[in-house]
Amino acid sequence: VESEVTEAALVRDVVYACQGIDGRYVKFDSDQDGYVIDANVKVPRTTRVLVRRLCEVGWLFRRVRNHISESLEDGPLEAIGTVGQAFCAALQEELGDYYRLMAVLETQVYHPIPFMSGSVTNNGGNYLSLRRLAVWLAEPLTRMRLMAVLVDDCKTLRGGAVAGAIHMHLQHGDPLVRSFLKRLLRRVCAPIYEMIRRWVLEGEVDDLYGEFFVGAQPVKAEALWRQGYQLQTSMLPSFIPEPLAKRILRTGKSINFLRVCCEDQGWAKAAAAAVATVRASANGRGGLGYGETEALESLVAEAAGRIDRHLIQIVYNRYKFRDQCLAIKRYLLLGQGDFIQYLMDLVGSELSLPANTLSAFKLSGTLESAIRASNAQYDDSDILDRLRVKMMPHSDGDRGWDVFSLQYDAREPLTTVFTEDVMAIYLRIFNFLWRLKRVEHALSATWQTMKPNCSVGRASAIKGDGVKSELTVVLRRCQTLRNEMNHFVTNLQYYIMFEVLEFSWANFLAEMEVAHDLDELIAAHEKYLSSIVEKALLGERSQLLCKTLFSLFDLILRFRGLADRLFENARETEARNQNAARQRSKDLHSGSFSGRKSSMSSLSGDFLTSISEEMDAVAVEYSSLLEGFIAQLPAQQHVDLKFLSFRLDFSEFYTRQHMSMSTTPLKFKRTSLRI
Amino acid sequence: QQEIVLPTPYVSLSRKATLDRELASNGENVRSLGAYSPAVQELLAIDDLLYMMVGIEGNYIRLRRGRLKENSPSLFVDPTMDSSIQELAKRLLPLCENYLIVSQFAESRSHFRHGLVNHAFAAALRAILQDYHAMIAQLEHQFRLTRLSLQGLWFFCQPMMGVMSALSAVVQKANVKNISGAAMLNLLQSQATAMAGDSSARALLQKLTQAASAPYFGILERWISEGVIDDPYGEFLIDENKALQKESLSQDYHATYWHQRYSLRQDVPGFLSGLAENILTAGKYLNAVRECGHSIKIQFPDDTQSADAGSSRPYMERINIAYSHASSELLNVILNKFDLMGRLRSVKHYFFMDQGDFLVHFMDIAKDELMKRSSTIVMEKLQSLLELALRTSVSASDPYHDDLTCNVEKSALLTQLQSTVTTGIGSIETGGNPESFLANLSLNGSGLGTQSGTSNITGIETFTLDYKVPWPLSLVISRKALTKYQLIFRHLFHFKHVERQLCMTWQAHQATRRLSFVGTAISRSYVLCQKMLHFMQSMEHYLTFEVLEPNWHSMETSMQNSKSIDEVIQQHDKFLDKCLKECMLLWPQILKKLEALKATCQQYATTTQWLIPSLNSPDNQSSSDYRGQSNDYAVRATVRTRLRFKQLSLRNWKADDERNFKSTLGRIDDEFKAELKELIFLLISHSQTEPCFAHLAQALQGEDTLV
Repeated sequence: VESEVTEAALVRDVVYACQGIDGRYVKFDSDQDGYVIDANVKVPRTTRVLVRRLCEVGWLFRRVRNHISESLEDGPLEAIGTVGQAFCAALQEELGDYYRLMAVLETQVYHPIPFMSGSVTNNGGNYLSLRRLAVWLAEPLTRMRLMAVLVDDCKTLRGGAVAGAIHMHLQHGDPLVRSFLKRLLRRVCAPIYEMIRRWVLEGEVDDLYGEFFVGAQPVKAEALWRQGYQLQTSMLPSFIPEPLAKRILRTGKSINFLRVCCEDQGWAKAAAAAVATVRASANGRGGLGYGETEALESLVAEAAGRIDRHLIQIVYNRYKFRDQCLAIKRYLLLGQGDFIQYLMDLVGSELSLPANTLSAFKLSGTLESAIRASNAQYDDSDILDRLRVKMMPHSDGDRGWDVFSLQYDAREPLTTVFTEDVMAIYLRIFNFLWRLKRVEHALSATWQTMKPNCSVGRASAIKGDGVKSELTVVLRRCQTLRNEMNHFVTNLQYYIMFEVLEFSWANFLAEMEVAHDLDELIAAHEKYLSSIVEKALLGERSQLLCKTLFSLFDLILRFRGLADRLFENARETEARNQNAARQRSKDLHSGSFSGRKSSMSSLSGDFLTSISEEMDAVAVEYSSLLEGFIAQLPAQQHVDLKFLSFRLDFSEFYTRQHMSMSTTPLKFKRTSLRI
Repeated sequence: QQEIVLPTPYVSLSRKATLDRELASNGENVRSLGAYSPAVQELLAIDDLLYMMVGIEGNYIRLRRGRLKENSPSLFVDPTMDSSIQELAKRLLPLCENYLIVSQFAESRSHFRHGLVNHAFAAALRAILQDYHAMIAQLEHQFRLTRLSLQGLWFFCQPMMGVMSALSAVVQKANVKNISGAAMLNLLQSQATAMAGDSSARALLQKLTQAASAPYFGILERWISEGVIDDPYGEFLIDENKALQKESLSQDYHATYWHQRYSLRQDVPGFLSGLAENILTAGKYLNAVRECGHSIKIQFPDDTQSADAGSSRPYMERINIAYSHASSELLNVILNKFDLMGRLRSVKHYFFMDQGDFLVHFMDIAKDELMKRSSTIVMEKLQSLLELALRTSVSASDPYHDDLTCNVEKSALLTQLQSTVTTGIGSIETGGNPESFLANLSLNGSGLGTQSGTSNITGIETFTLDYKVPWPLSLVISRKALTKYQLIFRHLFHFKHVERQLCMTWQAHQATRRLSFVGTAISRSYVLCQKMLHFMQSMEHYLTFEVLEPNWHSMETSMQNSKSIDEVIQQHDKFLDKCLKECMLLWPQILKKLEALKATCQQYATTTQWLIPSLNSPDNQSSSDYRGQSNDYAVRATVRTRLRFKQLSLRNWKADDERNFKSTLGRIDDEFKAELKELIFLLISHSQTEPCFAHLAQALQGEDTLV
């Protein structure tokens, strides 16, 4: 067949084309997107096709090499990052093998091709023809195809994502492909694993180009734990499972926390111990790398375990986390009863004054004396130092009661747990409890004034006087109302102190025991706090209920004023009566009976009527509010609140009262809500 | 799952478009072959054939146009060729055709979507094609040295012809069905078997099978050694349903998680077909152990690698090792670490009432709540009462008592069971098949709540216990098992309740002992009370001591000897079914009779408890008088009070009441007797299928003859 070109020349051109170089006859044709024999050269069609087919390797090679040179030489380093670099390096190494093959082929190109002659040259086996080239190039072709695919896939990716993309291609059944990709991945992942190692053992983010799946933000020390480091899911290679990644993140975070917030150096020892253990157990091949997921897992598990343990120990022992929580519970959540009682006694009169006349300084002194006088004095002085009086911003007409609160100053590094938000919640709980306590205190005080005045009622009851009996009625009214209120307040308090606070605290303690790392500790604390808020009716969903509760408190305080007024008057009357009686007995001795009537009836009917009217109003309002409160309780989803409603309405008194009044819509509501 | 397609425009372009284009452009300068001499013709033919053998169209040997797209290319030889040369060349054409088919297949099946088996198969094909290419190169060398004639070519190609035709046969079949995974393996194997006569082709196909199944065995190995499926293309014989969560076990009545989380696929490779069940269970057990928080990895002896392909024996061995290891491991975890027996014992304490003090205490304190209509019962109150009862009884020492909760069903036991009967699916009456029965039950359970008749039943009838079963144990104590426990519990609970009512009647009777009631209706009432008590107690005795306890013990011993968790589950289910059956819960007729008897007893109890105190009311005052007297007068006083009582009773117990009471009593007595007789009759008639009924019938009958 006539051909203008010798096969040897074509073979030489093909070998060049395979290295991405245009030859004399075989040139890159951008129209056909491939290496073809020049159309003007006359060659047989079969040769043309064969050449074109052989040159696929060259075409692929061009793509791979273009990528490498683009990323390594032309582009800035940031664009590809260290992983991209590693990828290119790995590709380059693979190309090295390819170059070697090409060199071998090159030497064979110049051996003459025997053509249709019987003469056998001594090196007859070593020449290259196009068909022989096809045999040689078959294996490089598959490899080159794979590389080209990877290059196409990874062109836009960076960092961990590159490793992930390559890993996806590993799901192939061809053993050749698998081994090739594994080799490649081991190289590509090396920087990632090095980053992980540095991060897990030294807490350093060794990541210039943002390729690591842990991202660091510059933040202040107290926000370090919560906001300092984030997981960059886009950079997480798919062969590292998410839980492991989280664990890795936390380990390095712990190290940084120890270093920055606690100024502790002990973690280095823990990390070294972890490395030693892993090395010992891995018997020699402790190197990290792709495919050694178990090695990575065990290293991370060791390091995380040790460092977290160390961190927890520091938090517990040096910073006395448990004691701090307990202190907060004792002072801010009114756990230390005698101290609170004393404080309330001391500060009570002060707080009745308008808010703007109060001096925080004086109140601090009162706090100090309350501490000194109660068992709180035996507490750690460090903890007592942190207890402060805080005056909340006040507006006109606010009483001291409204603005007074206690504050606990949690210092670094525990501010990571006791953040400002957390302390604000504590403050809210404190205010609520303080209010409840105040109401209870007020009711007790009322009882104190009532008790000595029993005699008033009794004395007047025996005498069948009209005015007196009215007084008896009012007194009785007052007693029952106080009892009712007291029942409510005591039960509510019992519920909050024991079923909410103590229960949550016990759970918290148990969770604290098992917490392995700071995250779990923070979560446990948050759970503790939110359980209190939820159950103590301070949550989002119980705002209405809370409002009712506060108006009930206000009503009780109003009642207290009323009762005080009543008893003051009654006492005055009694005192006057006693005087009169003394006078009378004196008179009796002297034999005079005058002035008896006028002195006995000095508690005026007007006053009694007004008091009794007011008392009625309070009672009516109270019962309607309470009923509303009890009716709303079952609407809360929280199971514990149902227990509160049992407790308040144990004898089903309110339910029955409710039934007898038979306000249908409410009743309907109550039954319908029972699930 | 993921779509990774090789983006190589080069391949597709070179294959189709350019071939055509170049053919068109170069077609004209080919001179007709007939113009050459036969020697030259032969040379040209050889050259063309050598091209055609690697899939490139020559000048004189062409692809028939338009047929390329169908998977069977057909070639033709220039007709002007010398006829003998032409004939010889034509003989070689099938080789070229087969090569085209095979190479195309190998190329296309490397794409990701075809699955691991196809990848591996294609890789193995490529290796063979590489040999083929090498052979062509050798032939070319010979050709260049002018040592190759067409005859020689024919001779040298002989071995390859066989190989290629065998391969192309397989590939064509695979192409037609577009198969992957196990189907591919099966095809290869069956083809190898079909080629049994041709030893070289058979060996070749076996080699290919081995190569193709390598990834498959990789998946298998992970599954049976770790319980993990790593199967991105869904080729493995086991299908994992990731949507099912193990937490669902405590809710799901059919235990779908355990039965359907892993299931066998349709196509299983032939050499594993006998072992598929074992593979499934082995991995399932391993997976369960893994879910329990243990990580285990079975190490296999390594000697199996060298074994020859096609035979499944080495894998059989491994699978058996894995199976026995996994099942013993899971059993060990569940029995020892999670204390299955202790858990079952605890369940038994509560549901079968084998620790009475808890239940008595509970019934005492929760009586008021339970007597309410079931829709008005406050669950929280009941739950707190239950907890109180638990903590103050011996059950407090049970480490699992926190897991007990209570529940109120929507309808009474009988209605629930009856509705199952009336909807009447399955042969409950005859067969007593608990499975279909319970399935119906759960089916109807939800619909029953809306029925109007159920609104006024009390908590006594609808109360039931519930139990929180943690994860690995929920395999054994599944929702279904728990439902059966609940049925038995409700049955027992109601018996217990009626018995307590009767006991209270008995107590009421005690107060009348000092009255002289000889000849009055009270004595008759007393006898009736005893009769009923006897009936209730012998029923309870039967249920607890003759059914539950012995069955429990036999289950306990059989569980100790079981070897796998499935066996344990089976034993447990069998035990429950037996209990259900022998507790007469699966015999609606008997159950209805029992219910009627209980109702009679209850009616009696309420009647007497209403009537007797009315006659007894002055008792309190007089006894307090009596207590004030000194010991010396005690005897005399007794006589005196008795006299006074007689007078009192005469005063209070008017003839009207007496008659009334008597007639009511008589009616109840008759009813009771009649129903008891019917029950015994029923029991006897059923005793042929359930021998234990005969015993019960006898016990009850003995009482009957007593009257």
